[in-house]
Parts: sequence; C-alpha cells; structure tokens
Amino acid sequence: MANKKALGKLKGREAMVLAIIVAMIVLFSILSPTFRTYPTLVSVLDNSYYITLMALGVTFPLITGGVDLSIGTGLVSYALIGGFLIFQKGMPVGVAIAVCIGFGILIGIFNGVLVAIMDLPPFLATLCTCMITRGLGPALCGGFGVSWPSSISADGGFRKIFKFVTAEGTVIPIGIVFMIILVAIMSFVLDHTRVGRYTIAIGSNKEATRLAGVNIKFYHVLAYVISGLFAGMAGVAYAATYATIYPGAGAGFELDAIGGAIVGGVSASGGVGTILGSFLGVIVICLMKVGLPFIGLQANWQQIFTGIVLIAAVLVDVLKKKKD
Amino acid sequence: MKKKVLAILLSAAMVVSMAACGGGGNDGGDTGNADSGTATEDTADAGDADDAGSSEGGNKGYSFQMIVKSFQSTYWQAAIKGVEQAKAELGVEVEANGPANESDIADQVQMLDSAIQKKPDGIALAACDTKSVVDSLAKALEAGIPVVCFDTGVDEAPEGSVYATVATDNAAAGAVAAENIFPVIEEKIKAATVDAKVRIGEVNQDATALNIQQRGQGFIDKMIELCNGADKKVAVVGNEFYVNGTEGAVDEKEAEVIIEVGVPAQTTVDLASTEAQKIMSKDDTIAIFGSNQTTAEGVITANQTLNKLSTDPEKGIIGAGFDAGTPQKEAILNDQLIGSVTQSPLMMGYEAVITLAKICDGEEVSDIPMDGYWYSKDNMEDDNIAPNLYD
Repeated sequence: MANKKALGKLKGREAMVLAIIVAMIVLFSILSPTFRTYPTLVSVLDNSYYITLMALGVTFPLITGGVDLSIGTGLVSYALIGGFLIFQKGMPVGVAIAVCIGFGILIGIFNGVLVAIMDLPPFLATLCTCMITRGLGPALCGGFGVSWPSSISADGGFRKIFKFVTAEGTVIPIGIVFMIILVAIMSFVLDHTRVGRYTIAIGSNKEATRLAGVNIKFYHVLAYVISGLFAGMAGVAYAATYATIYPGAGAGFELDAIGGAIVGGVSASGGVGTILGSFLGVIVICLMKVGLPFIGLQANWQQIFTGIVLIAAVLVDVLKKKKD
Repeated sequence: MKKKVLAILLSAAMVVSMAACGGGGNDGGDTGNADSGTATEDTADAGDADDAGSSEGGNKGYSFQMIVKSFQSTYWQAAIKGVEQAKAELGVEVEANGPANESDIADQVQMLDSAIQKKPDGIALAACDTKSVVDSLAKALEAGIPVVCFDTGVDEAPEGSVYATVATDNAAAGAVAAENIFPVIEEKIKAATVDAKVRIGEVNQDATALNIQQRGQGFIDKMIELCNGADKKVAVVGNEFYVNGTEGAVDEKEAEVIIEVGVPAQTTVDLASTEAQKIMSKDDTIAIFGSNQTTAEGVITANQTLNKLSTDPEKGIIGAGFDAGTPQKEAILNDQLIGSVTQSPLMMGYEAVITLAKICDGEEVSDIPMDGYWYSKDNMEDDNIAPNLYD
C-alpha cells in the first residue's frame, strides 16, 4: 500500500520537474537568442549522456537508502583503461568497451560486498572506493591522458552510437533514443521485477523485508552492481563525447548524477524514487550547465545558482515528508 | 561488536593511508614511457646511457631530483624526453616525481620536501601553485641545494633559492596566436563598423594560474594593438578578471570589434566546450582562440555540433589553439584549426637539467625564457617543431 502511495506522489513530482524543465527552456530562450537553436539542443543532449547513465545506475543504491560515490572517478578510470588498451596495446574498440563496462561491474561488486555483506556505511565505503578508482586508472595506464579514436578515424564508429552526422552535415543526437529506451527498461525493472521491488523494500524497511524471507544481501549487492554497470557504460559515453580523458578527473561528476536523481524525486533516505524522475532531474542539471553560460552568467554565479536549485529540490522533499 | 571493530579498523586505515599518501604520491612514468609504469630507480637509465656510448659530456655523476606539476597531461611526456636527452649527454641521474593531478598542491609540496630530504645535487621544480612552495624553497636554500624552476616561475621565492627559471614567456606566446590569426581575419575587421560589429572569442581554462592569466592577457593586448593599427576600437566582455585587466579597451557601444572571454566554472573539457559553443553560436563571431590543451579541445568538441570552423574567413570561424595532443593535431591536419602555439616542453626539460649541471660545475646561470612557436599544417613536421608536438 505504501508503495502505491509513493508511486502516486511521484507522478506529481515528475510533472513538477517537467514543468521546471519547460520553464527553464522558455527562460533561457528569451534571455539568449542563441540558446533556442538546434545546435544548442544537440549540445545539451551531448553533455547529458554520461550523467544520465550514472543517474540511472545510482538510483538503485539511493533507493536502498545508500549512495554510490565511486561512479564519478570510476567512469573516468574505466574510460582511461579502455583508451590505454586501444592505444598502447592495440586492442580493438569493442574489447575496450567490454573492459570498461567489466571494470564497472567489478567495482560494483566490490562496493556491494562492502555495504551489503560487511555492513559498512555506504557513504564511507563508496568514498573509499572513489579514492581507489581515482588512482586505479592512472596507475594501470602510466599516468598520462588518453584519447579514444576520433570520429574521423577508422575506429571512430563507436561515437556514432551517440551522434550521427549525415552526409549534408546535419547532426542527429540519436543517443537520446538509446537513453529513452534504457529509461523504459530500467523503469520496468524497478517497478515490475523482483529486483526492483526488493530494492525499494530494502530502502523502506530492511528488517521487515528480511523477516519476510527475502535474501536481502543478494539484492542489496545487486543494487551496487547495477550502479557499477552503468558507471562503466557512462565511461564509454564520456569517451565518445569528449576528445581527451585526463587522469584524476571525475571527482564531482557523481554529484551531478546524484543531484539530478534527487531533483527528480529520489529520496536521500531511501524507499522512494523513479527512473523517469532521475532522468528528468538530470535534464534539469544539464540545462543549467549549458543554459547558464549561454545567458551570460559568469562561472562563479553558475555554481551559486546550481547549488540553490539543488537546495530547493531537497527542501521540497523534506517539506513533503513533514506533511505526512 | 565485530562490525564496529571492522568499521573502526577501516577508518583508521583510511586515516593512515591519507597521511602516508602525500609522501608516496605518483612515482610512475618518470622514464616517460607509458608501458614501464612505476619504475623509480634511475640508475638503470644512467647505466644504459653510458653503455650506449652516446654520452658526450661524459660522466658528471650528479644526482638531481625533479618535481613536475603532474603526470596528467602528455605535455610532461615531452618534457621527460628532454630530460632523458640531457641525462644521456651529461651522464647524470635524475629522479622525477609528480602528483596525480595539477590541483594536488599539498601533495606536491610534500614531494618537494621529501626531495630536499634526499640531499640531491640540485632540484628542478614546476610548481602547481607558486605561493605554496615558498617555505620548501627556504628549506632548500638552508640545505644548500640549488633549485631551477621550469615551466612556471615562482613569484615570491626567497632571495637566492631559485638560481634560474626556464619557462615560456606566456604573454608573448599568447601574442603569437593573435599575430597569426589577425592576417586571416584582417579584411573582416577592416569592414566592421559600430553597427556591424565583429566578435573574437577567447576561452581560458581559469583566471587563477599565472601562466594562463599571462597568456590570455597577452592575446587580448596584442589583438587590441593590431585592431587599433587598423583604426578599429575594441571592447572586452565576459570574465571579469580579463575585462578588468585590459587597458586600451573602450565601451561596447563605441567599439567595432568585441573580444569575448569565456572561462568555465571548472577546468573540464565539457564546461570549456560549452563556453566555446556559447561564443561560436553567435552570428558575429569571426575567430576563436583556446589558450591551452583543455580549452582548445573544448573548441574542437563544440565544433562537432556546430560545424562552424573553417580556414576561410568567408566560410566560417577561424580557430586556433595552444599546446598539442592528438585531437588538436588532427584538427589542424583536417583544416578545422588554422594552427596552434606550442611551447617547448622538450627544451624546457632539457635546459632545466643542463642548467642544474652548470650550477654544480660552478658556472654562472641566468633565466632562459622560451618562445612559443606557431605551428600549422605547413611546418608541423619540421625538426625543431615536431618533437614538441606530443600526443
């Protein structure tokens, strides 16, 4: 029963976030004539893929009442290792993509064991993993930055997954189609499969779920494995969008993803949240990242503004709880 | 109880590793070879040089410590190559260390202190933050260890601690970019009027690092000089630091040329590309300059969506970059950028070691300012340019 109520409330939350997105687009378009052009839309989407993937994955640990802080430095590390394999070891791009995602899953399992089996606080455990992944990529690759093959080179085909350029030069951001498909799939997983329902159950009442005979350790670990899997995919998306991957980067990326999920209605204390909400929340974050510079707001004010928006989102969450 | 003990043990381990971390740092890559990973012993290298018989200066046998800004950018790979050349020529040992990341200032200070403890014959330093190393330099002075700065100078070094600085004249390097962009857009500038302005974009990674500040300002100042020479007035808009630092600019209403300066909130390629896109999507933009590898790649990334860069001013925006890296070199070969300015990281690494050896030999040394070189499709393969164009 509590689940249904939560779901019902969230439909309202998602509608609210959608309204915010529309309002932001209108506001930015009025303030900046160059914002409301097609290339800007493509750019917002381009910059959103890796954050969206992170957010889809981290929604699962968040719903269990935990968090995964290792996804930011993780995705950069996995992309670094993949690029290293391509350039220093001459491996095909397909292998690099598989290794990138594979590492994500490995670290996800590591996180899951620390949190679900050894009962460490998620914040602490994934913070430590974050430090490990930060150094792991550079340590395995000799410490230098690396670029995956560019779109004009022979192996650059993988970039076409996200962005397709027609013969006339029109750019089509087909990556968004894949994102929407993933949102649909993961929404189904969260709402209609055992994995999803037990994840929510662990978040709302872990003890009751355990007493009901569910193997919570398994599903708890699985939540972190999903997060790691998506971090690996985010690494590929990051490598496909940007020219060079710098070691030591990535610290802070997870805040974009987690912030997006929270704006979208995922509760920081667990038990509440939808995939669609996380996706919409990430769109809000990406709109701000592109829109604020476009309307002329200088660097420091961009950060202040983004912080205020996130506080507002969490406040709405807290006030709703108080009402109950 | 068990869980509590485990949690406490792990927390303790974390605290201890954080304290120890600063000293350990990133010792990898000092031979400049990505495959060799974590070798820190250089005796093997010095031995190889002697065996190869290529050392002409013979066997000076000095032992130096080198602290780079980080091993983050492949720029340092070229610097290490220069160091290897000097090592082979002189027969000296050099052990190189550096933090993982150019913002790990505290780590670098600790590495510098450790290097001083090892009592080398000399230290070569590329400081991440010029103010933070001042205390360590005082210690080096007390210990009688000569220090040579390379890539960046140290503003307020204790008197007598730094014997020489081997660095690019960044203001001049920024000016080189302006000097090479101007002739290409000269017609457009001459045709500009107060009602039909033209815009030149500059994306700087930050407004806090001395070398970026000097470079960005150098570009702006030279561009203003060249435009004034064509009887056009210039306004500078955008990031407050560069706007306020410019002399000789007029109000936007009175100018025919606008220089717009974009600085991203953080030094990442995605934010830099948004800044570049913001400027490049405006209809009156005729040129754009990215003042280091990160921002030049931001310009290239933005162009993947906008497709506005061209080497013909009538067909699109003229773009130029700084430093090298594979994406930038490719962009030049593919006619997206007209060219870039390279520093001489190889020569800087080389001269730093040569200078240290001279100090140990008792010779007088002085600062060695390096030039920024313009490179384009035409001269990329030249012998004096190519080694600096790292991947």
